[in-house]
Amino acid sequence: MRDRFDRTPFWSRVIVVLALIGATVIFNGDDYVTAVAVSVATYAMLGLGLNIVVGYAGLLDLGYAAFFAIGAYTSALLMTEAHWTFFATLPLAVLFTGTAGAILGYPTLRLRSDYLAIVTLGFGEMTRITFNNWEYAGGPNGILNIPWPNFFGYELSTQADFFVVGLVLLAIAMIFAHHLDHSRLGRGWVAIKDDEFAAESVGVPSLRLKLLAYVMGGMWGGLAGAFFATRIGAIDPFSFTFQLSVLVLIVIVLGGTGSLPGVLLGALVVVGLPEVLRQFADQRLLIFAVLLVGMMLLRPQGLWPRIRRKPKPFYGLQEEEPDDVAERILREHQAQIVERDLRHTAAGHKSSSVGDVLLDVDGVMQQFGGLRAVDNVSFQVRRGEIFSIIGPNGGGKTTLFNCITGVQRPKRGRIVFDGRSVVGLRPHVVVSRGIGRTFQGIRLFKNMAVFENVMVGLYPRHRTMTWQAMLHTPGERKDELRTLQESRRWLSFVGLESLAGRLATELSYADQRRVEIARALAAHPHLVLFDEPAAGMNPTEKLELMGIIRKIRDLGITVVLIEHDMSLVMRVSDRIAVLDHGVLIALDKPAAIQEDPAVIEAYLGREDDELGAVQEA
Amino acid sequence: MGVFLQYTVIGLTVGSFYALVALGYTIVYGIIRLINFAQGDLSMVGAFLGWTLLVSFGFEHLPIYIALVIAFVIPMIGTAVINIGILQFAYKPLLRRSLLAILITALGMSLLLQNASELIWGPAIQAYPPNLLPLSGFFIGPVHVTYVQIALVIASLLLMCGLVAFVQGTTMGTAMRALAVDHDAARLMGINVDAVIRVAFVLGAMLAAASGVMLGIYYVQIQFTMGFLLGLRAFTAAVLGGIGNIPGAMAGGLLIGLLEAYTTGYLSGTWEDVVVFGVLITVLIVKPTGLFGERVAERM
Repeated sequence: MRDRFDRTPFWSRVIVVLALIGATVIFNGDDYVTAVAVSVATYAMLGLGLNIVVGYAGLLDLGYAAFFAIGAYTSALLMTEAHWTFFATLPLAVLFTGTAGAILGYPTLRLRSDYLAIVTLGFGEMTRITFNNWEYAGGPNGILNIPWPNFFGYELSTQADFFVVGLVLLAIAMIFAHHLDHSRLGRGWVAIKDDEFAAESVGVPSLRLKLLAYVMGGMWGGLAGAFFATRIGAIDPFSFTFQLSVLVLIVIVLGGTGSLPGVLLGALVVVGLPEVLRQFADQRLLIFAVLLVGMMLLRPQGLWPRIRRKPKPFYGLQEEEPDDVAERILREHQAQIVERDLRHTAAGHKSSSVGDVLLDVDGVMQQFGGLRAVDNVSFQVRRGEIFSIIGPNGGGKTTLFNCITGVQRPKRGRIVFDGRSVVGLRPHVVVSRGIGRTFQGIRLFKNMAVFENVMVGLYPRHRTMTWQAMLHTPGERKDELRTLQESRRWLSFVGLESLAGRLATELSYADQRRVEIARALAAHPHLVLFDEPAAGMNPTEKLELMGIIRKIRDLGITVVLIEHDMSLVMRVSDRIAVLDHGVLIALDKPAAIQEDPAVIEAYLGREDDELGAVQEA
Repeated sequence: MGVFLQYTVIGLTVGSFYALVALGYTIVYGIIRLINFAQGDLSMVGAFLGWTLLVSFGFEHLPIYIALVIAFVIPMIGTAVINIGILQFAYKPLLRRSLLAILITALGMSLLLQNASELIWGPAIQAYPPNLLPLSGFFIGPVHVTYVQIALVIASLLLMCGLVAFVQGTTMGTAMRALAVDHDAARLMGINVDAVIRVAFVLGAMLAAASGVMLGIYYVQIQFTMGFLLGLRAFTAAVLGGIGNIPGAMAGGLLIGLLEAYTTGYLSGTWEDVVVFGVLITVLIVKPTGLFGERVAERM
């Protein structure tokens, strides 16, 4: 029974539920009830919009009323001054709010999230005050006599008419939101909420995704505003105060952030409670404030929490034999590389073949205050080799990785990858150029299953557009299935297919490192940077890791390794660079490095924890 | 020119109130990275406590010095107790949870203070005793300066000096500065982190309450909604000066006061908040670390 319910598509469930609600309210026939129901629908629409911003993308927007206001004023002015019909004003209302969201969001979404709360609050107040001071829009009196909407000759004038329109808009909003949540965008948002830095570093364009959430949320607010304007028939700046922004926030916090049925429930409470408790009407906000704080403390997941069902990995996929998988990965990867090289050549860049220089680090210097973490380092990594960077702690190895991957911008020097400079690019662009990485301290997305983590790594390779995700088109479904299939192959590549459905945090340290490797490989990189992949592994696991690294090289992927385990480094590397105090002191084959006096001095010249490791090697 | 200087005097007076509230934001943010939305509302509560003492309890009829001491000290203690209550009850359980949860809670506390105050003191505007301090003043050239303005500015300066002396000169102040850099390291050095956080909340509330009473004396009229805009302007001041930066918050407060006075004087009072928020957004976009630099360690 439960299964059958799960298999009915979400959209059909939404339509059935909303139709039942609509029929109940309308056949009840009570005008008061219908009017309250329209208000609930309006708040629910606002809540659904804000839910994308707060619930999905995790951005606190305290000026949401501004979008509601811009939508309402746009639609109202077009109807009263230009005599457009209601439905014709909708695209412009949505367009204007979306533009306002983009203009405000683009510069401010880079900020810390708490600053964003204040900026949006300020934006909300500014918008209201501007409308209040704007004579053309009626100043404090607002706009009166907004006509009823006309739907192909039928004038919508009763509360029941508005309720039907409201429910239709609500249904569309819910279906779109559900599809977004279950698409690559939803996965990207969860990843950003978990660890924005890691998400960006594995190829998720975090700023673009946050902006998308903010703008889409704003557009829904604008649509709700237009609906509100025509329904009330008169708007003034006092309909769009900070209080409204807070009430909409309460709608989603009460219902459960991220939960669609929660939004409906929250809207019902926020609109319905004051109607039921008439005698406490003056203390309405006090009650809501207590509810808000109480919910955060006692039931932060909300009244109707978002259900994240235990993900069933690879549900509906065909089984594949292990040998088959290895072969497919190789084939798929080589196809990707060939395609990439073709594009590369077509764009006028020189394409490299095995043995050519793939990564050229030239005179890179990075400075923190007076400390030169990386000082004039130059080396070249050739396509197809395993290249290790070793050196005492604080030698500047991770800083160098951060410079290559776009996390930091070096103060001086050039970094050329595959014929093009990568200095100054944002991390997700560097990923799309073909550089993958893992982190010294593991940075998996904790609230996601293992296979979902790997799917996030596939983000740069999605070929579908946002509208396809919103509509859940067949193309998008195919793309998702392909992503799922590939994440499975990569997990089997590192030997973790059986753990795919676990949460990332449930895995052992060594297994988590392997998931990170699979996540980095999923984007089909040309070059991978592994930052201490063997840390915390036991000897057996290290041996397996060595096997994986060699397998990666056999795929044609160049590997750069930071590692302290000398036996692993010496056995697996083609060449080794030694960094000490930010300076490159040696660069040679493993055997030569072991004999190098400068290297021996760097390790033995002081008491260092790698002392034993060198001797062992 | 005379008009400009007159606006400057007004701006500096109001700015010193903003500076006090801004200091509260900055101290608390510096230590636990929380925008305590309730900061402005604590100021409002302080103003009402002062009003209750002076008007309802009739302390305004006492000798002026005694009345003033009572009207400042008791509200400062009262709001400090409230702020500690908020910290222990609402923020403490959430400190290890997400930023979003604690921000929403802070917002809820702000709403709670506002609406509880409305319940207690009513929605109407209340008036401070209008002639508590002598209304007269004197002219420096064309500029009229009242004794109230001078007294209030001096009082704010004294409070700010006291705060700086506390943060720079005492062991607790050193612990606060250590905490602002690194919680874990401070804890390992044997600092009682919870106690320091409590001290920060006490200081923030006391400064807010003092500014509230000053606003009451200066503007005479107070209302339960006054904390919202006050808090926003003060937060803007704190960001303008670089959050976590104590001298920065003072300078930011004065700048916002001046900006407001000039906007109201030269443009129109209806635009002042648009200008203030415009400044906030611009600063955050152009130089998010504020004019004088942040003193908050960024943790990855």
